[in-house]
Amino acid sequence: MSELLSPEILMSIMIASIGVATVILLAALGELVTERSGIWNMGVEGTMLSGCLIAYLVMAGTGSPLVAALVAMVAGLAVGVLIGFMTITLRVDHFVTGLGFNLLASGLTLFWFRSYVDGAKPPSYSTIDKAPIPGLSEIPVIGPILFDQHVLTYIAFLGVPVIAFFLRRTAYGLETRAAGENPQFLEAKGLSVATRQYSAVLFGSALTALGGAFLLLAFADQFRPDISGGRGWLAIVAVIAGNWRPGRTMIAVLIFAILDSVAVHAQGVGVDVPYQFFLMLPYVASILLLVMIRSRSGQPAKLGVPYLRH
Amino acid sequence: MIEITPRSSAGWKAMLAAYVLALFLGLATSSLLILASGASVADGFGALYEGAFGSRDAIMQSLVAATPLVFTGLATVTAFRAEIWSIGQEGQMFAGAMCGYWVSLYLGGTTALIAVPVIIAAAMMGGAGLGGFCGWLKTRFQVNEIISTVMLNYIVIYLLSFLLAGGPWTAEGSTSYHQTPVLAENFRLPLLLEDVKLHIGFVLALIAAAACWIIIRKTPLGFEIRALGFNPTALRFKGVNVARTVLIVMCLSGALSALAGVSEIFGVNYRLRGDVMTGLGFTGIIVGMIGGLNPIGAVIAALLFGALANGSLYMSVLSDIPPSLVPAMQGILLLFVLGAAVLVRYRVRFGKRADV
Repeated sequence: MSELLSPEILMSIMIASIGVATVILLAALGELVTERSGIWNMGVEGTMLSGCLIAYLVMAGTGSPLVAALVAMVAGLAVGVLIGFMTITLRVDHFVTGLGFNLLASGLTLFWFRSYVDGAKPPSYSTIDKAPIPGLSEIPVIGPILFDQHVLTYIAFLGVPVIAFFLRRTAYGLETRAAGENPQFLEAKGLSVATRQYSAVLFGSALTALGGAFLLLAFADQFRPDISGGRGWLAIVAVIAGNWRPGRTMIAVLIFAILDSVAVHAQGVGVDVPYQFFLMLPYVASILLLVMIRSRSGQPAKLGVPYLRH
Repeated sequence: MIEITPRSSAGWKAMLAAYVLALFLGLATSSLLILASGASVADGFGALYEGAFGSRDAIMQSLVAATPLVFTGLATVTAFRAEIWSIGQEGQMFAGAMCGYWVSLYLGGTTALIAVPVIIAAAMMGGAGLGGFCGWLKTRFQVNEIISTVMLNYIVIYLLSFLLAGGPWTAEGSTSYHQTPVLAENFRLPLLLEDVKLHIGFVLALIAAAACWIIIRKTPLGFEIRALGFNPTALRFKGVNVARTVLIVMCLSGALSALAGVSEIFGVNYRLRGDVMTGLGFTGIIVGMIGGLNPIGAVIAALLFGALANGSLYMSVLSDIPPSLVPAMQGILLLFVLGAAVLVRYRVRFGKRADV
């Protein structure tokens, strides 16, 4: 165990945590906005998995990470249209829709991947480069952890205050929250609930798919089935544990990310505790977090309740 | 614009039409998948049918493949009927198989007449314990059951991975296969047909389905389950202990899932290993939902999906289509059935609303 506590390993764990956090944070921010609009999207895991596969296929085809990430986001928008159509237009139960979509995504991605590689060795490529910020990245300790990361990592963390500002200070943010708290009020003002909910679901799904693309581009040299490994679910937990607030959600994400990278490092260093127990840590932590943090004051009043116009 | 308003009553005709429509659209979309992968649709579906129903052996093997899906499907029906969205069928199935195996280590040369029921009971207790734990987290700490069951799925699978990958249960000299030694004869489920391994679990599955139907339709517990989904507040006012009902439902659902693990490990594979069970719990969720959250419907859906799974192996040998077509098809069918169910519950109109 003590091997994990050496300064070099601790440093490496922290650097990796911020990177891993990017994946969960993008999905969590997307889910946060979606849930604030009243849609309880449980399809995050499947959306992330779809983003991974699309990014992989595009990367294998074009070799451009930028194109891969963009196409993955477009695929995320398509997923958002599907989930929005089911939950907002058809008013199918939100949980049922999300669970159904996850099962669809895990089947479809598996089939698509298998028929794409067709028994041959799947193509692989090197992971994308980091983008250190000149000057800041040279600060001891903090520099490598915070300022020697991927471009998308900076964007994801900047997204926390941006989304907080959007929800609190902009008209559309207020209307989005109204859709989740009091849709009748919105309708009475002559504003469409469905439009706000659709835009929230589309935004959330695109961001989640981008997180999936980043998982693939930054951490894996090729796709494998179930590569998302529950990170989409951790994003949902982070939103609940964060009481539907961006800043607290980020803290929950960081906890999962640190445990995730501890597990990876434990495997690498070769500690005497079986590595499977380390791999359990984020999942155990997610249950403990929900048991300990039971404040649901931030939960939108109409979260998960299909809105029926009268 | 699409305008949807609730319908007061829905007849069986609307329901049948919805299912036929969903099945048709599902098959059409699956055909597109086969085309996209560059294979022939007729060859693909032909081989799938041949592998599933082509001979007596094929049909019997489809029944064997359907058995665990009946159990996980029923587990879904009992939980979802109460609007408890447990997706822990996968982990509970693993937990059941693990508890059954664990107990078998202490049974030695006991006659099968005693050993098999003890293994089944231990497995059911394992599954019920895991399910009940999530029910307790839900009622005591308001932890959403979807989250807790998903997380426990991962935790249980890693635990099994530890036990089998060089851990205490790993078979001598087979660390790379991640499996236990072969089970002794007296621990195996008795066979109904020797040549195709149709085991007693199939009969148990049908009995379980009948039991679920009776429980949901004819007992006070069944009334509480249905009312829990419909209106928990009214149930509370009636003096029903809702927390207790949630706990019972989750234990029942877990015990049913565990039986899927027993039937795969003690009825078919005769070794505890993870990969032979993977996905059967999740497929059970689709089975339960496509079966309309009805025990009989779940049995029909399980028979269909068992046949698909069995036929897919034959299909992958005869054509270039990977067997993973079947999970994709199942997911597609599910979404169409969910969408089509709207036709039953709502009146759908196209065009602009006149009265705005």
